[in-house]
Amino acid sequence: MKIVVLMKQVPDTWGERTLDVTTGLSDRAATDAVIDEIGERALEVALTHRDAVKGTEVVVVSMGPASVTAALRKGLSMGADSAIHVLDDGLVGADAWLTSKVLAAVVARSGADVVVAGNESTDGRGGVVPAMIAEHLGLPHLSFLNDVTLTPGEVSGSRSTDTGTLQAHAALPAVISITEGLPEARFPNFKGIMTAKKKPLEVLSLADLGLAAASTVAGNGRSVVVSTVQRPARTAGTKTIDEGNAGVELAEFLVAGRLI
Amino acid sequence: MSVSIGKKKKATRTWRSLIWAIPTALLVLLVLVLGAQWLRALPAGASFLRDYPGASALPGGAPVGFPAWLGWQHFLNAFFLLLIIRTGWIVRSGRRPAAFWTRNNKGLIRTKNAPTRISLDLWLHLSLDALWVLNGIVFYVLIFATGQWLRIVPTSWDVFPNALSAALQYASLSWPTEDGWVNYNSLQVLSYFAVVFLAAPLAIITGLRMSGAWPKDATRLNKAYPIEIARAVHLPVMFFFAGFIVVHVTLVLATGALRNLNHMYAMQDGESWLGFWIFAASVVVMIIAWIAARPLLLRPVAQLTGTLSR
Repeated sequence: MKIVVLMKQVPDTWGERTLDVTTGLSDRAATDAVIDEIGERALEVALTHRDAVKGTEVVVVSMGPASVTAALRKGLSMGADSAIHVLDDGLVGADAWLTSKVLAAVVARSGADVVVAGNESTDGRGGVVPAMIAEHLGLPHLSFLNDVTLTPGEVSGSRSTDTGTLQAHAALPAVISITEGLPEARFPNFKGIMTAKKKPLEVLSLADLGLAAASTVAGNGRSVVVSTVQRPARTAGTKTIDEGNAGVELAEFLVAGRLI
Repeated sequence: MSVSIGKKKKATRTWRSLIWAIPTALLVLLVLVLGAQWLRALPAGASFLRDYPGASALPGGAPVGFPAWLGWQHFLNAFFLLLIIRTGWIVRSGRRPAAFWTRNNKGLIRTKNAPTRISLDLWLHLSLDALWVLNGIVFYVLIFATGQWLRIVPTSWDVFPNALSAALQYASLSWPTEDGWVNYNSLQVLSYFAVVFLAAPLAIITGLRMSGAWPKDATRLNKAYPIEIARAVHLPVMFFFAGFIVVHVTLVLATGALRNLNHMYAMQDGESWLGFWIFAASVVVMIIAWIAARPLLLRPVAQLTGTLSR
């Protein structure tokens, strides 16, 4: 079985993340670039299956600038067999439409049985790309899975709904996205780090995939960031000190703020 | 963008303050040296130096030279201190830890309450602390059992005028001739005493206060000794240690390096290169430990006593 894991390199949530106000893109220099944690968990799902079932091949795929190589090498050091990096200047500021189209092209090219992705990234928080990829490919999609069972020919798992949990299954090939309910990723060991350098890492451009940056999706153009504004600094709150009339003051404050 | 501009501004400010700070420091140094030399030239200064040559006489029965265990103790202490300062600084920096460690609550150390999750950096800091404290306890027992304590604990009040005399001699750039194999000058005695009997216990008691081992629910104790005090003191104590190390190593190398290194590393008095080479080997060990203290190699060790997570 061939499993493609989608990983995204994001600004580390540990520090303060910033947007470049002039371009509207995230300022990659401001924070450390790391693999999104949910992407690591997605890889863990694939690696766990590979540990149990011989003959499983795990491919990590990412789209992004040159720095993504480091993220993919980390994925390889954790145990993935090969990596694909989509690198093209035409992809700067790509929206979910373009991203999903490009990733779908990579998946189609790789002939994957299962595509495993995180439910949403910590920077964009769109949570739509996996579903869009499934749509592009005409494949079934199980989103936000809290657990995953892979058998030859079928993937199943449970997902949380507003009222309970739902058991879902789909025939392979399929696209799934997972939640933080699945276990955290393993640490790369020494052997993994040493062998990661020798594993294949393929770099693809848009032309290699037969795509053009200007290509439209379903007749629509790309969405672009029109304007970005810095969040205003927080203002100090109002302090109410009880001198016998705090109740009245509180009520007036709530009324003035149209909170009651 | 705004971040880099802010950094640049800060850098310019640092440069500007340096332009003032360096000449000021040089001027203060010059005044200090000339002032000390002027004081020594005065009849009163000269007679003070005659009365107090810079070192107190040791009580009879004080040991001469150093035993081998002291060399080991000194090396281990330096080794642990270096890594403790480094890991403490990493913990303080607030960077994302490579992993977190939760103690397995079984085996030798078992507590009623569930252990807290700490970063791998803090785990290393605390583990080194424990080893350093153990080393310190052995050191205390041995120096008091063998009489070596007489070398670093002042036993008469003339240590203070003698320390002043030694300071005057250092400042006037006519340094006191010393014989560390037999007796330290009073400034050395006071500073070694301060490190061993004041700074080290202070570092331990403030560190302990901030650690998970401290009882959280001891209301009266914690009111008498709030954690804020420990936080405020722990870092300055580290600066004291760092400052001491810089001055100590500089003076050791500047006042007869081969003889001094022979004393503490080869346990002999003389000008041979043996002490230097042992010292050099100890520095190599420290460098190796510094480089090896990385998550990849620490993880398997940490996993022996706990579970790792992200």
